[in-house]
Amino acid sequence: MKGVIGLLAVLAVLVVIPVAEYAFAAGDEPGEYLDRRVVIWNLFFRMMTIAFVVGAVVSGTIIWQVWRFRESHPKAKPTPYEGTDW
Amino acid sequence: MVLELQKPRPIWQIMFSTHHTDVGLLYLIMSLGFLFLGGALALAIRAELFLPGSQIIGDAMTFNRMFTVHGTTLIFLFIIPFASAVGNYFVPIMVRYKDMAYPKLNAIAFWLIPPAGALIWLGFADFTWYATPPYSIISAPGPAADMWIFGLKILGISSILGSINFVVTIMRCKHPDMSLGQVPLLAWSFLTSSLIILVAMPTFAAALLMLLTDRLGVSGFFNPAMGGDPIAYAHLFWFTFHPEVYVLVIPAIGMMYEIIPRFSRKPIHSYQSGITAFVLLSIVGFSSWAHHMYATGMSFTEKTVFMVGTLAAVPASALHVFNFVATMWNSRIRFSTPMMWAIGGIALFFSAGAGGVANAAMPLDFTTHDTYWVVGHFHLFVMGTIAFGSIGYLYYMYPYVTGRMYNETMGKVHFVMSFIGTVMVFFTQHVLGLYGMPRRIYDYPPIPEWITMNQIASIGAMIIGVSMAIFLANMIYSAGKGKPANIEDPFGVGGRYYYPFEAKNPHH
Repeated sequence: MKGVIGLLAVLAVLVVIPVAEYAFAAGDEPGEYLDRRVVIWNLFFRMMTIAFVVGAVVSGTIIWQVWRFRESHPKAKPTPYEGTDW
Repeated sequence: MVLELQKPRPIWQIMFSTHHTDVGLLYLIMSLGFLFLGGALALAIRAELFLPGSQIIGDAMTFNRMFTVHGTTLIFLFIIPFASAVGNYFVPIMVRYKDMAYPKLNAIAFWLIPPAGALIWLGFADFTWYATPPYSIISAPGPAADMWIFGLKILGISSILGSINFVVTIMRCKHPDMSLGQVPLLAWSFLTSSLIILVAMPTFAAALLMLLTDRLGVSGFFNPAMGGDPIAYAHLFWFTFHPEVYVLVIPAIGMMYEIIPRFSRKPIHSYQSGITAFVLLSIVGFSSWAHHMYATGMSFTEKTVFMVGTLAAVPASALHVFNFVATMWNSRIRFSTPMMWAIGGIALFFSAGAGGVANAAMPLDFTTHDTYWVVGHFHLFVMGTIAFGSIGYLYYMYPYVTGRMYNETMGKVHFVMSFIGTVMVFFTQHVLGLYGMPRRIYDYPPIPEWITMNQIASIGAMIIGVSMAIFLANMIYSAGKGKPANIEDPFGVGGRYYYPFEAKNPHH
């Protein structure tokens, strides 16, 4: 498990470094502003693509599970904790 | 167990008590009173914006006063005192202590709020809840502006006293057999939000003093004519009030942590990740204040730092959402009123968070700055998440406080209408912002899209207003005439309702 977490951490750093490079390598000279806008819009669209996909998955999961795990569902069964003083 | 209304006591006994549940009850009643006052102002604002031109509010100055007091009331006099009500009621019981650590200080913290509320309402200032300088120091009419400043000052002192009490109660007064890792997540939410207040609030306290001395003309901290800088005020304000967002939202999430496992009939999926997320939020809350100020001429690098700092809140927020989803997985959910509010709150929390991610990105921030997008975004948080969590918890604690059950059907109608109304008002306001409608305007040009969306938002607000009337009727009627609650298991979900009956603390 620790190995997997370590691998994910390394991958996360590898993804973050190039993104951070855009921001901190940029100077303040006139003329660069337009390029930076393009870069940041590009980043924004990529982020929003991810956000909408994740949002759809999470919202869909919540909607499905409140339907599936409602107590009136034909397949509903008691949880292992019912009847105990948890 | 405190069955406040089943064993009536003279009102003065409750008012002058220092017992934690009595103080909690006072907080509860006062915060609900201000909820309805602030909500009434919201309805008036929405009625005014139903059509272009002057509708029911006579002039722009009055409109400005109304949205200033609306925002100040609902943030400082409803949400925070409501959280204090819940904390006062349950934190000592959760940590198994006889009362709050400093009961008299606790009562003082409460009794500072009514005069502060009176100052804010009797003054009726017009400079927005942000007290926008340099207007607020140069030409905002007194004594309204000064009364607002003093009101906020008093509320800040109250918050600090309350926070000290929560921190000491949880850290030092918990039962010796109970480690911090066994303290319920609701109590953890109060611990982390109290720590945020203690770090953030002094900055705003200083800013308020500077604002006051600027108004008196003895200093010019934020007055450009005297060499001051209004942007400095923006930094001081948002250093306090961006973390304050987490002060508002963290207790509401803590309340959901009580409701969702109970009605899912299984323990929370990951207690540890809940604590981790609270602590993370309380830290990263301080790394994002300047995202409110992208349009003030900050350098690209600064903006990028604050964009990344803002996005750092996403993983912590996601931990909460995934914890709730995992808890409900393979459960047997009873959709009683509190659970409906909690699930609605999670759904809207996610939507509000997604809007926040977009907002934090510089390009869209410039497009939406000071438009109705921003109004929609933060209202989706304060109404859709914080108020939903809080109202759900109010239904949950209702049998505990009154010994009676509320009317379940009315509770569900309240939820459904509020949910529909909230979506109609605040989702529409996001779109309205993208169409370019500025916030804080009394009148607007008759652009067909603006009119349609303002009308949708205003109708949504009226639906919320009606639902709140149903809520009020339910609360008042059921407190006296509701069915007596089966106090061991009022919602019929099995297990123990709450903290055991024996855990009640005797009055003193």
